Amino acid sequence: MLPDGLITADGGPNYASAILNILEDAADEHVRLKESQRAVLNILDDFTDERRRLDATQRAVLNILEDSNEEKLRAAGTQRAVLNILDDFADERTRRDATQKAVLNILEDSHAEQLRLADAQRAVLNILDDFEIEKSNVERINIELRNEVAERVRAEESLQRANAAADEANQELEAFSYSVAHDLRAPLRSIDGFSLALLEDYADSLDDTAKTYFGHVREAAQHMARLIDDLLSLSRVTRAELNRSRIDLAAVARDVIAQLQRDEPDRAVDLIAPTSLLAHGDVKLVKVALTNLLGNAWKFTGKTADARIELGEILESGHPVYFIRDNGAGFDMAYADKLFEVFQRLHTVTEFEGTGVGLATVQRVIRRHGGRIWAEGAVGRGATFYFTIKEGA
Amino acid sequence: MTSKIILLVEDNPNDEALTIRAFKKNGIANEIVVARDGVEALDYLFAMGRFTDRIVAEAPALTLLDLNLPKIGGLEVLKRIRADERTKCLPVVILTSSDEETDLMKGYDSGANSYVRKPIEFLQFVAAIQQVGLYWLVLNEPVPPIRVPTR
Repeated sequence: MLPDGLITADGGPNYASAILNILEDAADEHVRLKESQRAVLNILDDFTDERRRLDATQRAVLNILEDSNEEKLRAAGTQRAVLNILDDFADERTRRDATQKAVLNILEDSHAEQLRLADAQRAVLNILDDFEIEKSNVERINIELRNEVAERVRAEESLQRANAAADEANQELEAFSYSVAHDLRAPLRSIDGFSLALLEDYADSLDDTAKTYFGHVREAAQHMARLIDDLLSLSRVTRAELNRSRIDLAAVARDVIAQLQRDEPDRAVDLIAPTSLLAHGDVKLVKVALTNLLGNAWKFTGKTADARIELGEILESGHPVYFIRDNGAGFDMAYADKLFEVFQRLHTVTEFEGTGVGLATVQRVIRRHGGRIWAEGAVGRGATFYFTIKEGA
Repeated sequence: MTSKIILLVEDNPNDEALTIRAFKKNGIANEIVVARDGVEALDYLFAMGRFTDRIVAEAPALTLLDLNLPKIGGLEVLKRIRADERTKCLPVVILTSSDEETDLMKGYDSGANSYVRKPIEFLQFVAAIQQVGLYWLVLNEPVPPIRVPTR
């Protein structure tokens, strides 16, 4: 419904008046609005200022708050720093304690070290003392050594002199042996030869006694010749160099017996020997020994029927012992130790010819081979000569 | 047989006499020339000294050489015999007292044909001379005579 004034006289809406009214109202309204607008703007202005102020305040507060916060952070930082410092301080203290302890330890150690050092020093001093003693000892030993060296030199010189003397003596012995071999034999040849010449050429002028005497002269000359030969052989056995090699004692024995058989073809002697009997010795010297031993066996079985000579070997503690056994005249064991002495004979020359040098020569040969020789026998029941030859020496 | 001369080099007159006797005992009648030291032996062999008239080519059939000799020793005599073309094949028998190994070795080294040790027992000596004489003068065929260029 429209307000009354806006209704027209006929009763219809009065539009013109309504529009005027509205327009009027609108104008009023517009003014008011404008006023309100202004007021609002003022308010807004005020409000903006206020807001600016507020902002400023707020900013200030915020600043204050910020400052305060920073302050607080700083305080906290300070506090933390203090705490840290305190912590650090505590650590420092711990460290200091440790350091102190370490220092104490070091001091203790140092003390111990000092003690040790003192010990070491004492030890060094002792060593120096010892060294001094040692030095004097060394000096004494040096003097002793020098003396000993001098003594050795003297000994060497005297040894050289002795050697030279020995060489000279050997040369003299050589010369002597040579002289004996040549010069002593020649007169004997004359004695024997011319005695025989007398017996042959002047047989008619000589009576039986004279002939017998010339016979004795010849026998003596021949005996002396054998003595010279035997002594030469003995001397050679001592002088000769020892050259060992394998030697068959059985073969040597067969040769020796064959020679003896040639010299006395009428003798019948049975040689019992193994096919071979090996030893390690100087061929020449061992031959000399076997020639003497077998020669003895041959000689002393000269009056034995069924004469038998045996060469063999037995083992003594695993080592070979050679033996030459005969069933001849034998000997009295009471004189067994005399058998090997030079010129010692257990039989008279009329019983059995001999010079008493043969077994001494045999013993030298065996000794030069590092061996032993011994004999067993009984009068009328033969003799056995045992000997060893050191193996491989 | 008698043309075969025996040279006996021996300084001991007794041994000389006994050696000659031993040859006679064996019926060896060859001429025996005796040289009483090494120089005489070489003089004879090389026709020097008192043997200048001798003809070297007529060499002795056998030389018996002692070792121990005055002036020039037996070994030296032997070496000179062997060193000379005219006598190098001469039969030389060393006849000596020594049976020392060194003498034997030196004897053979110097060119001895044989080495005989003089036995002391005279009958053995006679036997030795018999064998030596028989061998060298009868059994052994000598070196043919050396032809010396005629002057």
